[in-house]
Amino acid sequence: MTLLLGALTIGLILSLLAMGVFISFRIFEMPDITTDGSITLGAAVTAVLLVNGTNPFLATAAGAAGGAVAGAITGVLHTKFKINSLLAGILVMTALYSVNLHVMGRSNVPLMQARTLGSHAEDFGRRLLGTDTVHFLGWPVTASDAALLVFALLAAVVSGVALYLFFRTHVGTAMRATGDNAQMIRALGGNVEGYIVLGLALSNALVALSGSLLAQYQGFADAQMGIGMIVWGLASVIIGEALTGARSLGLTIVGAIMGSILFRLLVAIALRWGLDPNDLKLITAVFVFAALVLPGLIGKLKRKSAFSGPAPR
Amino acid sequence: MLELTGIRKTFNPGTVNEVRALQGVDLTIDEGSFVIVLGMNGSGKSTLLNAVAGSFFVDEGTIRLAGHDVTRWPEHRRARLIGRVFQNPFSGTAPSMSIAENFALATRRGRARGLGWALSGSLMKPLRERIASLRMGLEDRLDNAIGSLSGGQRQALTLLMATWLKPHLLLLDEHTAALDPKSADQVITLTNEVVQRDRLTTLMVTHSMQQAVSLGDRIIMMNRGQVLHDFRGAEKKRLRPEDLIDRFNEVRAREQLDEGAAEMLRANYI
Ligand SMILES: Nc1ncnc2c1ncn2[C@@H]1O[C@H](COP(=O)(O)OP(=O)(O)OP(=O)(O)O)[C@@H](O)[C@H]1O
Ligand SMILES: [Mg+2]
Repeated sequence: MTLLLGALTIGLILSLLAMGVFISFRIFEMPDITTDGSITLGAAVTAVLLVNGTNPFLATAAGAAGGAVAGAITGVLHTKFKINSLLAGILVMTALYSVNLHVMGRSNVPLMQARTLGSHAEDFGRRLLGTDTVHFLGWPVTASDAALLVFALLAAVVSGVALYLFFRTHVGTAMRATGDNAQMIRALGGNVEGYIVLGLALSNALVALSGSLLAQYQGFADAQMGIGMIVWGLASVIIGEALTGARSLGLTIVGAIMGSILFRLLVAIALRWGLDPNDLKLITAVFVFAALVLPGLIGKLKRKSAFSGPAPR
Repeated sequence: MLELTGIRKTFNPGTVNEVRALQGVDLTIDEGSFVIVLGMNGSGKSTLLNAVAGSFFVDEGTIRLAGHDVTRWPEHRRARLIGRVFQNPFSGTAPSMSIAENFALATRRGRARGLGWALSGSLMKPLRERIASLRMGLEDRLDNAIGSLSGGQRQALTLLMATWLKPHLLLLDEHTAALDPKSADQVITLTNEVVQRDRLTTLMVTHSMQQAVSLGDRIIMMNRGQVLHDFRGAEKKRLRPEDLIDRFNEVRAREQLDEGAAEMLRANYI
């Protein structure tokens, strides 16, 4: 049960990552590898501030803001300096590796003693429930685990709703159109470069927020924690699209959250069954590869069989 | 209204692919004038419209529009003054977004886009009415992705979008060339309606002599990046398609002459 709760909580926290990747990958059609750096940046900034006794809400917001700056830099490299979007992301990600080490001062910052959003949520849960354990469907659950789950759920839902509302405003709609048809939005007076910078800032703010919450949940920030997280986000978005099957904005966002949770659950189960944790990234990569290639391949096979018609007897 | 002086544009200068697309264009267009732009393939018609719209900066010359010197304005800034319909029906709309959302974007052409709700209630009613006036049955499909519509429907919608806020200048670059004849007729009729109703200053590129004589109040004919002929007033009214074709043949004959001369030079001296 603890395992399940943990997987759910982490899945929800990483759904913010998935939403960030949704913006860069689905709206702007650019896989933005800044993600790997900004998730660590969010964790690092928050962890250092927490260790120094900053208010957890402020520390979390600062982590997200760090991500926004990183994303904006990638955006500027891509639009103003005309660097290929993938390369711009790689440059910023690489630079962030050093930045993160500087921010943290070493490669790992433990948060065991610090007051985090997590510990606030745990206290709150214990006070609200008045006991240390509750029973859920007959299973004993510690109040702090339950509180963390509810808090993560809240974070995911609030972010998802905010994102949905934003993309239905005038700016948000124009931002979506930028990815769909840049020529059109330019002819309608949209500043395409500006929207890309803003969108990547938003994307990486969400990613960094995810990293910040993750650090506070797992109790440490680590310089290596971002490696391959873009692929993780892609996997979540792709699973989400398969789950909701839809291309509408609201469903895609809901899908990203669901995809993130499901993917985390699958991973938890696989690890439980004895999957070597070292193979995790390899399997994630293979999974995303398959998810990207299979739909096209299946379509091709179908068309082929349609062309060849009924088999001759 | 629109005033072009000494416009020059060379693509890929100093390379083997160098193209002198505009070679000194001077052109003044009065407010409310509907100008048809003719010319052979590669004569610089699209380049002229793109230069005015700001798709690139010109090498030389100035562009004044509605009292502003817009020569150095980026494209998105000029969009405040200019409405555009492209040749390719895919260019003017965001395919995966709904008809209503596409129009929501058009209602802010050249204006600040804030955090207001894009599909506001006050937009939907006039939008439905305007789209119903097309008599294409699209008013009941406002939530459909615009990519699911035919090319003709998309061009008609793009035209409405470009003129939703009255532009100081409307640019139409062969906007019916990719359509079947029936859809092309529909879009041309709509174009004429919209332009007449709002007295829009318009530049329209076409290859159709029929459209050229039946629409507009002025014809300019481009050749090799320059304005070769300029017909207006009574002269434009008298023009028949045959007259225009004669002019084209003159141009073609002269080009062949030039080529023949070049050939002779090459044969004799190289
Ligand atoms: N972006 C560009 N880069 C390089 N060359 C270009 C570019 N745009 C146009 N040209 C060249 O400039 C010349 C004029 O092209 P333009 O598109 O203006 O012709 P046009 O009159 O619109 O012709 P058409 O009737 O075929 O549309 C052509 O030789 C074309 O190849
Ligand atoms: Mg052209």
